Amino acid sequence: MPSPPPDWVKALKPSGPQGSELLQQERAQSNVDVERLSELLHTKENLERRASLLALLQPEKVFDKSQNHTLGRVERLQRSLAKAKRLQQLAEEHKWSMQELHAANDLIGEPTPYGLHASMFLVTLREQGTPEQHKLFLERAEKYEIIGCYAQTELGHGSNVRGLETTATWNSNDKTFTINSPTLTASKWWIGSLGRTANHAVVMAQLFIDGKNYGPHPFVVQVRDLETHLPLDNVYVGDIGPKFGYNTMDNGFLLFNNVKVPHVNMLARFCQVDKETNQYAKPAMPSLVFGTMTWVRANIVLDAGGVLARGVTIATRYCAVRRQFQDRDADPHAGETQVLNYKMVQVRLLPLLASMYALHFTGRGMMRLYDENQSRMKAASSPDQESRGAGPEQLRAGANLLADLHATSCGLKALASTTAGEGLEICRRACGGHGYSSYSGIGPAYADYLPTLTWEGDNYMLTQQVARYLLKSARAVLAGKPARNDTSQILQAYLDRRDKGASFDVLDEDKDIVAAFGWRTAHLTFEALKHRDAEQRSWNSLLVDFWRLSTAHSQYLMVKNFYEAVSSPELSGALDPETKGLMHQLFRLFSLHTLEREAAEFFSSGAVTVRQITLTRTTAVLKLLDDIRPHAVRLVDAWAIPDWHLDSSLGRYDGKVYEDLFRRASEENPVNDLVFDPYPWNSALLKNEPAKSKL
Amino acid sequence: MPDFTDNLRPSQPDGPTTLTRERQQSNIATEELGQHLLGSDGFLERQARILPIIQQEPLFSKDQQQNLSRPERFKLGVARAKILRRMRDLHKWSYLEYQMAEYLVDDVSPYFLHMEMFITTVREQASEEQQSYWLPLIESWKIIGAYAQTELGHGSNVSGLELEARWDSRTREFVLHSPTLTASKWWNGSLGRLANHAIVVAQLLLPDPSAPDQYVSHGPHPFIVQVRDMKTHKPLNGIVVGDIGPKYGYITMDNAYMLFDQFRIPHSAMLSRYSNVDPSTGIYTKPEKPALVYGSLTYVRSNMVHRARLVLARAVTVAVRYSSVRRQFQDRDGDKMGPEMSVLDYPTVQIRILPLLATTFALHYTGLAMQTVYKSARQDIEKGNFNSLAHMHSMSSGLKSLCTILAADGIETCRRAMGGHGFGGGSGLIQVNNDYLSKPTVEGDNWMITQQVAAYVIKKMTAAVGSPDTPGVDETDARFKGFIRNKRRPGRTLETNNRQAYDAYEQRVIKKRNWNSLLIQLHKLSRAQSESIIVTTFFDALSNDKTLSTPIKTVLWDCYRLFALYTMENESFEFFRTNAVSQTDLNSLESRVQDLMARIRPHAVKLVDSWMIPDYLLDSALGRYDGRVYEDLFNRAHRLNPLNRITFNPNYWEDEIVKGSGDNGRGILAKL
Repeated sequence: MPSPPPDWVKALKPSGPQGSELLQQERAQSNVDVERLSELLHTKENLERRASLLALLQPEKVFDKSQNHTLGRVERLQRSLAKAKRLQQLAEEHKWSMQELHAANDLIGEPTPYGLHASMFLVTLREQGTPEQHKLFLERAEKYEIIGCYAQTELGHGSNVRGLETTATWNSNDKTFTINSPTLTASKWWIGSLGRTANHAVVMAQLFIDGKNYGPHPFVVQVRDLETHLPLDNVYVGDIGPKFGYNTMDNGFLLFNNVKVPHVNMLARFCQVDKETNQYAKPAMPSLVFGTMTWVRANIVLDAGGVLARGVTIATRYCAVRRQFQDRDADPHAGETQVLNYKMVQVRLLPLLASMYALHFTGRGMMRLYDENQSRMKAASSPDQESRGAGPEQLRAGANLLADLHATSCGLKALASTTAGEGLEICRRACGGHGYSSYSGIGPAYADYLPTLTWEGDNYMLTQQVARYLLKSARAVLAGKPARNDTSQILQAYLDRRDKGASFDVLDEDKDIVAAFGWRTAHLTFEALKHRDAEQRSWNSLLVDFWRLSTAHSQYLMVKNFYEAVSSPELSGALDPETKGLMHQLFRLFSLHTLEREAAEFFSSGAVTVRQITLTRTTAVLKLLDDIRPHAVRLVDAWAIPDWHLDSSLGRYDGKVYEDLFRRASEENPVNDLVFDPYPWNSALLKNEPAKSKL
Repeated sequence: MPDFTDNLRPSQPDGPTTLTRERQQSNIATEELGQHLLGSDGFLERQARILPIIQQEPLFSKDQQQNLSRPERFKLGVARAKILRRMRDLHKWSYLEYQMAEYLVDDVSPYFLHMEMFITTVREQASEEQQSYWLPLIESWKIIGAYAQTELGHGSNVSGLELEARWDSRTREFVLHSPTLTASKWWNGSLGRLANHAIVVAQLLLPDPSAPDQYVSHGPHPFIVQVRDMKTHKPLNGIVVGDIGPKYGYITMDNAYMLFDQFRIPHSAMLSRYSNVDPSTGIYTKPEKPALVYGSLTYVRSNMVHRARLVLARAVTVAVRYSSVRRQFQDRDGDKMGPEMSVLDYPTVQIRILPLLATTFALHYTGLAMQTVYKSARQDIEKGNFNSLAHMHSMSSGLKSLCTILAADGIETCRRAMGGHGFGGGSGLIQVNNDYLSKPTVEGDNWMITQQVAAYVIKKMTAAVGSPDTPGVDETDARFKGFIRNKRRPGRTLETNNRQAYDAYEQRVIKKRNWNSLLIQLHKLSRAQSESIIVTTFFDALSNDKTLSTPIKTVLWDCYRLFALYTMENESFEFFRTNAVSQTDLNSLESRVQDLMARIRPHAVKLVDSWMIPDYLLDSALGRYDGRVYEDLFNRAHRLNPLNRITFNPNYWEDEIVKGSGDNGRGILAKL
């Protein structure tokens, strides 16, 4: 690394007022009780756990973050494996729970090559394995004696699991399965932890018995030798190469050339091939899998709030420190204005500040619903629901809480991850030029987060499931079935008042805001139903309508969840009246800003008038921005994201933005070790290195 | 090493079959459209001639560049830039030919600032005597220069710069000094490691004639300064300069920081074509035409407007080809026996990609119009007529903001529309995305500069309101006056952007609302104004064209309608509120847009083919001309990926990382 700068440079300070002073001012002008709000958001227990983990991790050299953005891919992955190993050693030493390991991983801030072993491999073995298979695979996997991954997607096949090409053919003569890749597009692809790290994989393959295809099933397959870690014969496996982000993960490819595995390697808790009769036995409890997906999506919604909070924390603090231009209408001798005072910065950041709270409370709401339904789901399973891809609307409608939660979760997952992903980019741009530096901490987080927008089902594909569910519910309501869940109720309410009109007082009544969002969803649902049932339009031609409908419904759910959270006794009990009032303001900002952006749909559905939208735009939103602005820094402080986790010069808690940017550029930047020969006709690149460079 | 994977083929129908079918179903003559778009100044001819030369040079192979560390990648960038410069001499390339080579190699050149801002500033701002000394040195590359204006704490607001250039009347020198850390120069390209000279913009401090021990600032001025030793290439004493570290993109550019400690430069260092300090009296002479200073920024912005089309075309080319080849799910209403559907047949994919395909053409015509306006305004200015300057400045600011947003967001929309593989290095959209994402915030932040459009529009509207019945002095003036006259008659349809301009005028001028409270509305106004320019330009270009064959003309008209109606749908509330379009018409927009997409869909592959972007530039497995998507993805993973040459030790209780290295992980920690 370059040597430290000379003394005259070290002696320089940023011009005043200092970032630290500005953030102090910001914190002084608001009474928000940061500690109480933090505890409401994260719980005291979680905050304390994170603090002790932070104290443990931060001093370890192997977790140093300073070179993350400078290293080449090969070195980064090696570093990443070193981090993963150390984490696992610490987990063993300190007997961490799963939550603690997750929290530690989160603080490290990068995916590691053990990621898919610790999540999908263990989960799949646990949920889909028999007791015999638990002994054979799960116990060893939990001790990391075998390291695995989950190999589903293929080079040519993503969301459509039925289209997978890898085959598993049952051999009745020697009671084995033959795993094979018949084409190049059958290659497993994108499989995390597989590229260089795993020696086992759960492989999803089309099961063939006696020439008949029984669809995709999971098989445990060893792919590398446990001694040499080299691929086994007739297995071709490797890393798929550099990516937009996620470069600390070894996403892999995998091909099989007729590899035999024993009967016991097909995960058989729910379905199996009878060894004696060679008969296929059907799935027993598929809806549990369905529940897992819902749980995964609820987590994505909750995480989306945290990811967005990272960007908003950085941008809000930096925009409070950064000053640019004098206010046109102010005293010309005043200093430059903090950019957070500019309305066009506020209108980008403060709605995102509100969104991160909205996402958090929505995620919490979903989790609660999931927990409440766990027991019911186990009691009464509905066997027709696993095998459906995105498409047909054969779901049983009515008062089915499981279906309500499922439709809710897949639409919200799409909206939440898009809001967080795009929100990060808005935050980055709101930081102006310095947002482009890796030291901003936003770009790298954005790049690692982006795949969430396409995995677990492409966001656009998922919206079909929501639409299918809403259409089904609408048909039921039209048929006079009683409205027993929330979705049916908003549809019924719309039918009841359609002729009278809506006349919601969105500017003054919080409850009416929620109703207006429900109204719009109901309106779009009946419009779509008209196209599909009365006009007999093709499913394909309606996909864009379905996407809009799903977005509208998910926005309604966020608005509703946010409203319920801010009106809850839990929140009132935890916060002082002023902070509680501010939570209501955030609710209004989130809702009215969304309403204003989707103005055309609100207007054409008759939920609000043009005058109301114009007032929202010109008065209500501006007023909310003014009201929330003084509390912005404390509202991000309450998320309590440690500096080490943010890894950002711009977003530091203490506001020492410029000192940190300069320190990193001058002392942590290996490019400054290179002294170039700048002239084109001298082939030597460097003055301080032997003529033969690595190139 | 041969293995069983060598015999595997993708499942059917494969990419080449699909793309051949796509190309057969359209009657578009790609050569003709290509010539129409890019033929006029010889672009396509240069591309065809220079491409094979570039592809022969091993250093220009793009196979490994995504795997390199920042120092290695920067070194590769410098090595390529050197060779490119030598090839220019070898092949006697013109600057346009050299630019073509650079475009194909697709690295941001670390010499960029030397070739552009450094030499341009000397040409425009140096006195004749200074030019005759410096230009030969620069043109012969005896010195390498950069342009250092922005500082750690100061970007767009040039008057806030902190670096001082204090006149020492005793020695008749300027003393450059950075009084604070935020005065550090920052982001200055080509300066971090490469340049030995720089144009340095600093606050000119001169003694107050009435109180000689007091200094008065005369605002920021440019100085030409040597910063590194010509032999050792080390910074001169009193200067600290270096690279600012890793960024989102621009990995081959050495953006710099630079600080000065009482660093003395001669009187002749101040570029003095317009302003001067008398060396004997220390008296300041003012620039005659201060407006010229923003001439070069306008030049940069108008170039960005012009270049947006090719950047977006690249992303759309990849997205259209891959979405044709990629198949997912059967059609729900079709028979369930056929192959999965091409994803480009899904309206949810079309609505993301096809409006962007139309946008490439919209940006094309706007880019041309911007160039024309810029050239004629320059000619006026050379003749001493500054009337068109404000219009050009406003137009370039608004269009820079809108066009770079359309392109930057468009690249990302295309990338995401491709699902999982769009995230992979084989998409070919990663470096272009990373590099292009600098555009919305550089050379005037896209949000900040819309104020300039709004200020201009309010001024013009104020003038129009003052005398609505006089003839218009220019196009905008005439349009606004027409609007005011119409407004007096009830029931008339009002154009959306004119109405927004009037609203803004009313808020600011009549109601005296404060500027800050209007910023959001003004941003919308600027966007509406720029959208109106793009739509109008597209319409005029197609209406006036006499050369295109009917099939092409027909599909371009559809693209025009798609762009216009899609834009209108996104802003439908504004169109309704301003009475420009009726609610009934707005309600039918959605189905019109779908119809237009269905009409354009069969031509999509041929339309992107017409942009003639070579595979070498695309560097994309997904966007290959021949459709061999999966073979290429596999080849990149299988043969080109250096990670697969290393075997890891996966056991967490052993610190060894690379199997057999036996270093217990120390090799990894040693690099910290």
